[in-house]
Amino acid sequence: MDEEDFSSSSNPNPNPNFDPSQFSSPKWALKVLVECAMAIETQDSTRTQHLLWVLNELSSPYGDTDQKLAAAFLQALFCKVTDSGRKTHRNLVAAAEKMYTFESTRRMMLRFQEVSPWTTFGHVAANGALIEAMNGENRIHIVDISGTYCTQWPTLLEALATRSDDTPHVRITHVLSSVGPAGHRVSREIGARMEKFARLMGVPFNFSSLHVAEIEALNHENLKLQEGEVLAINCIFSLHKVGPTSRDTAVSALRRLDPRVLTLVEEEVDLDSDRGQGFAAWLGECVRFFRAYLESLDESFPKASEERLMLERAMARAAVDLVACPADESRERRERSGWWARRMRACGFGPVGFSDDVLDDMRALLRRYREGWSMGLGRADDEAGSGVYLEWKEEPMVWASAWKP
Amino acid sequence: MLVYATELAENSSTMTVSNITSASGEASVSSGARSQQNQNQTMVAATTKKKRNLPGMPDPEAEVIALSPKTLMATNRFVCEICNKGFQRDQNLQLHRRGHNLPWKLRQRTSKEVRKRVYICPEVSCVHHDPSRALGDLTGIKKHFCRKHGEKKFKCDKCSKRYAVQSDWKAHSKTCGTREYRCDCGTLFSRRDSFVSHRAFCDALAEESAKAQAVVAADSAVASGPANSSSDDDPKNKVASTPLSTSPPNVPAPSSQQESEGSAGFMQPSLTTPASCGPTSTNSSSMFASLFASAGGLQNAAFTDLIGAMTRPDPTPPPVSTTTTTPAIALALGPSSPSISALFSQKPSSLEPNPHLHYTSTTPAHMSATALLQKAAQMGATASSNSSFMRGLGLLPQTHQDQHHHQNQNHHHPQENWTHHTGLGLGLLPPEYGVLPREEGVVSMQELMSAPLFGPGGALGSGFKGEEMGCKPTTVDFLGLGSGASGPGGLSALITSIGRGLDMAAALGGVGGGAGASPGRPGWDGS
Repeated sequence: MDEEDFSSSSNPNPNPNFDPSQFSSPKWALKVLVECAMAIETQDSTRTQHLLWVLNELSSPYGDTDQKLAAAFLQALFCKVTDSGRKTHRNLVAAAEKMYTFESTRRMMLRFQEVSPWTTFGHVAANGALIEAMNGENRIHIVDISGTYCTQWPTLLEALATRSDDTPHVRITHVLSSVGPAGHRVSREIGARMEKFARLMGVPFNFSSLHVAEIEALNHENLKLQEGEVLAINCIFSLHKVGPTSRDTAVSALRRLDPRVLTLVEEEVDLDSDRGQGFAAWLGECVRFFRAYLESLDESFPKASEERLMLERAMARAAVDLVACPADESRERRERSGWWARRMRACGFGPVGFSDDVLDDMRALLRRYREGWSMGLGRADDEAGSGVYLEWKEEPMVWASAWKP
Repeated sequence: MLVYATELAENSSTMTVSNITSASGEASVSSGARSQQNQNQTMVAATTKKKRNLPGMPDPEAEVIALSPKTLMATNRFVCEICNKGFQRDQNLQLHRRGHNLPWKLRQRTSKEVRKRVYICPEVSCVHHDPSRALGDLTGIKKHFCRKHGEKKFKCDKCSKRYAVQSDWKAHSKTCGTREYRCDCGTLFSRRDSFVSHRAFCDALAEESAKAQAVVAADSAVASGPANSSSDDDPKNKVASTPLSTSPPNVPAPSSQQESEGSAGFMQPSLTTPASCGPTSTNSSSMFASLFASAGGLQNAAFTDLIGAMTRPDPTPPPVSTTTTTPAIALALGPSSPSISALFSQKPSSLEPNPHLHYTSTTPAHMSATALLQKAAQMGATASSNSSFMRGLGLLPQTHQDQHHHQNQNHHHPQENWTHHTGLGLGLLPPEYGVLPREEGVVSMQELMSAPLFGPGGALGSGFKGEEMGCKPTTVDFLGLGSGASGPGGLSALITSIGRGLDMAAALGGVGGGAGASPGRPGWDGS
């Protein structure tokens, strides 16, 4: 990565704005997209149009990583320019909803997890933290606020079933917020599978899904918390779906549930546009992050993979959401671990470190994927403290952490 | 502190077994196979009505030895003064000293010393702390103590599984990552976590429950037999998977004829049956020792675990009636069926005395980790009948109360029923069940072939490209930017159409496979 940057910046071209080689150099998409964002920022419509045209010529949702990246963000930028973000996003979501079935979801998630640790990294971390925090408890109630379709639980159930002391009773409440009818169908189907699998593993188990409009609507009553149940909250790739301004409220609400442990896994990138860094710089951060994501997909999946296309389309929707939709409606504004950690502490949570065993499990997990993935430990003086990072080519991409009141 | 050389210890336990067996008036057993030994112990336990189906040495004659944890955990306490090499047993050190030309002395066994010794676990809360549940050999109790109460120091680099006993770890390491897990739907996995996740979501799991109930029941028939539910599964599954994963020669051909006769005749007088069981279980154990991480080649312990596992109150396999088993019987002609029959033909003999014992107990024993791991390994290790095995292992908490009576009734006609169970234990499935995986293959092919139609390289993709030509900024809409006027045209439309195409493909697949789990694996990526 650094070498590439070096070679391209050492390219002896006096005028980087009109460097034709930038279109053929690696990572051209980032450069052109940022150029375009700058033109939009400075309201230079001629240049904006020109760059959009260039992007249109070069991009393809079926091309290489840069072409895909360019296609997704071209669409997003175009929506921004034409102020059609909401509408486009709605259309894209509607198109996706048509494909959104248990079948397709299952295929996508399982395939994704097989080739990439993007989600499994957080699963292993969270499961490890949950099991350790719940050690010795007879009745575990997990409030699952996560965006990974319960694919985390089979391995947890297996781990519980094979551990030496008595298998606890496990209850999972799958929290759904703002999902359509397809989402409910999928959740029901997932629940049926989970229950069957738990029976197979000999784990006393209970699954229910709970629809709430907002996370802060969760309380002991609607969770039907029972006597003797120990509560755990599992948030994987989900809290960023709460609007940036509502996040403190949401976390406070979770704190009020008084869980034994809360596991929090988020993507490590700052996509909150309210940080005052300017549109182009912010877009650069978006593009860098999604480029790494696409690259990891590219190196993990075979070329023509339907599951991969689904993931890429989801990413394209995220780009439109981020770039062209109102910030307060956005469900994609990820934040870096530092922000989350600060918020968690402010709301009365303290960090729980991952044990060596769990860390070993995570390392072992990464060894099973292809080259390029590594694990980074948060520094002690780091705000994010005890969390761990999933890194793609040395870039932290996903942050996993555990918290207790 | 008495220390036996391993061979001696084994001999003594073997002898113990035969003593007990003959004492309890059952067919005598002289096989040296450890699994055999343990099974017999189990049977004895059942017969003596002390504790059901749990390993232990109820022989009151035996000398009960309690060793401290320190002693049990100690390794290489006997150190050679010349080269500092340590040994676990004095006998071995003595043999080693011979190499240095040092004076050495092997303990001579006198006939009095032959007196049996049993070892209890020092952990007070452990069931094997009770002298009536002591284990018959020193190595066994050491490994038990390490596995159950020791720190798991050995860790697999590849999958991070931890082991307390080094030999378990070694056995696991040899095969970790090299084996494949196979789901009922036909999909293969090299990684366990993927397999587990897939398994949970796979249609094969959902589908089978109703229809395969009978088959499952059949599989578990052996297990749901009177007393020994889980312990039986172990040998059964091992043998059963043998023909599936390796070649039949594992099963001693010459004896099989004899054995099948044995099983048909229900109670073949002892000697032939155990003798033929010996090789069978040895073969399979050598194969599975490596597969089943925890087996570590020590059938003893594995059996212990399984036996422990079966005390679990809830899960007991579903019903077996003679009618449901019939189709499977027809298929139960695999090469190893005779030896299995042989294996199980012993069981009724020892179990019959108290068929109810197993069910009346309320001990809430949990399934041990080892047993579950084995079970889990079996769910991958065997071919298409995995889940049936799983259920066979007693994990299906359905309606088994009724079954017990049923079983017990059946029990009075052991010959007929055991023969059936035998066949079923092979995991060979009736035709309608066996079809599933194959159809799954068909689905994949369909998906594979239809993929280009809808995929990027297909007609849609190129048409799209053509439209895109000559775009000015205003034509960007063709990309599906969905700006102002054009609505969900362009890309969104394309996506939609692709989506529909896919749905069709999926539907096709669904029809073809009977929803037989299109778990994505062999799907689009293959093209």
